[in-house]
Amino acid sequence: MTEEEIIEKTNKVFEESFEIEKERLQPGAHIFNDLGLDSLDIVDLVVALQKSFGVNIRNEEKIRDIRTLQDVYQFISTIKNAGGGKAS
Amino acid sequence: MKSNRVVITGAGAVSPFGCDVEALMAGIEQGRSAVRFMEGWDQYIGLRSHVAATAEIKDERAIPRQKRRFMGRMSIFSAQAAEQALVDAGIDPAMVPQMKMGCAIGSTMGSAKSINDAFEIMLPHKDISQLNSSMFFQCMSHTAAANVAQYLELTGYIMATSAACASSLQAIGAGYDLVRLGRQDVMLCGGSEEVHPTVTGSFDVLMATSAGFNHAPSKTPRPFDRDRDGLVCGEGSGVVVLEKYERAIKRNARIYAEITGYNTNGNGSHVSQSNRESMVRCMKQALRDAGIVPGEIDYINAHATATLQGDKEEAEAIKEVFGASVPVSSLKGYIGHTLGASGAIELIASLRMMQRGVIYPTLNLENISPDCAGINHVTALVTKNIEVILKNCFAFGGINAALVCRKV
Repeated sequence: MTEEEIIEKTNKVFEESFEIEKERLQPGAHIFNDLGLDSLDIVDLVVALQKSFGVNIRNEEKIRDIRTLQDVYQFISTIKNAGGGKAS
Repeated sequence: MKSNRVVITGAGAVSPFGCDVEALMAGIEQGRSAVRFMEGWDQYIGLRSHVAATAEIKDERAIPRQKRRFMGRMSIFSAQAAEQALVDAGIDPAMVPQMKMGCAIGSTMGSAKSINDAFEIMLPHKDISQLNSSMFFQCMSHTAAANVAQYLELTGYIMATSAACASSLQAIGAGYDLVRLGRQDVMLCGGSEEVHPTVTGSFDVLMATSAGFNHAPSKTPRPFDRDRDGLVCGEGSGVVVLEKYERAIKRNARIYAEITGYNTNGNGSHVSQSNRESMVRCMKQALRDAGIVPGEIDYINAHATATLQGDKEEAEAIKEVFGASVPVSSLKGYIGHTLGASGAIELIASLRMMQRGVIYPTLNLENISPDCAGINHVTALVTKNIEVILKNCFAFGGINAALVCRKV
């Protein structure tokens, strides 16, 4: 999966699940401070990413380190490219 | 203990006729039926009734996503109805968090659609990992009360009365007691419910639904009618603002009516069979609480859902207490049975009738059933000064509720 595809699919999750306008989806955007997500939204983000990318990431420790949108792209990229996050 | 007078100063409703009280009253005034054929319900094996009165959700994006994500359909109905009621009462929402104000919003259960969705996600593979964080908050029994409280930032008593079709009248009764006893200054009270095939199905398996009018939806339900064949589920929410009389006077609020009597009781006999004796006791005790005799009631807004047994028992109970003197009508023919919301929605419509000095007839009551005869059925518009009304609700679970309101 290319980086562009990961960005596109991830952004779509943020637009559809969290009603965030496309213009605000900048890589450096802090998902809590800038995009307004909270701890419960992270549960939904995981569910939506699992569905969108066909992975199982619920128990991945690195989710806790995610702060920016770029972190999400990177996280997904690592999972996909390492073949990790067993298909759900 | 000091007992405050309690008045109703605001009302809001989302109903099958639209998203405010005006739309509700316009539908009733025009004698329309909101009941329609439900496409796709024939997929449910064994479901005989394919009609319902649905409400449309509008402008839900006006509720911020952070609050809205915990709301199923019924909570959106309630949040909108509660906000309307506050505005109608002339209470500034910004002042709400500082007020001694709570809410009691009842329903049979949590969001039927959300509960169904949750099980559909979870059960096929016994997998909870696909459930999102808001699902529980949409499914829980106090979802409407909790969501209204969160949305309006209420900091007082937050309660959910769950007594099926008596839920919202019990909520109003509970709010009445809380304000009467001085525990709260203002209460937002009412109820909410959703249409869903599983909800209609729960009545359908008991043979309590209307199944003979799937291709003539506007002809059902038929409260007190010879050809009635069961209830039709509806959805929506009704919420009223209750406050201390002195407080309402002090701020020059418009007062719809004073709540002067209330009672709720159990029939002690059967979970689903209505029981005339307990209905009589319930209405009589509400009248005693109001300190009035039956002859002082000007209008009875009946529960009458158009079930064979329920209508008969209610008509007999009304006959025993009131004879044939007091006009009686049911609003179920217009909007179906909005279950946990019905007490509040129909009370709001009754208060408007009181305001206008008119009684709207029971829609679809064309031939009074012999087993419902002997009471003063309203079959055409009646113009009458209405000072005191009685609202009845009778629920599965063997629970009755009756509320008396007087014009101030």
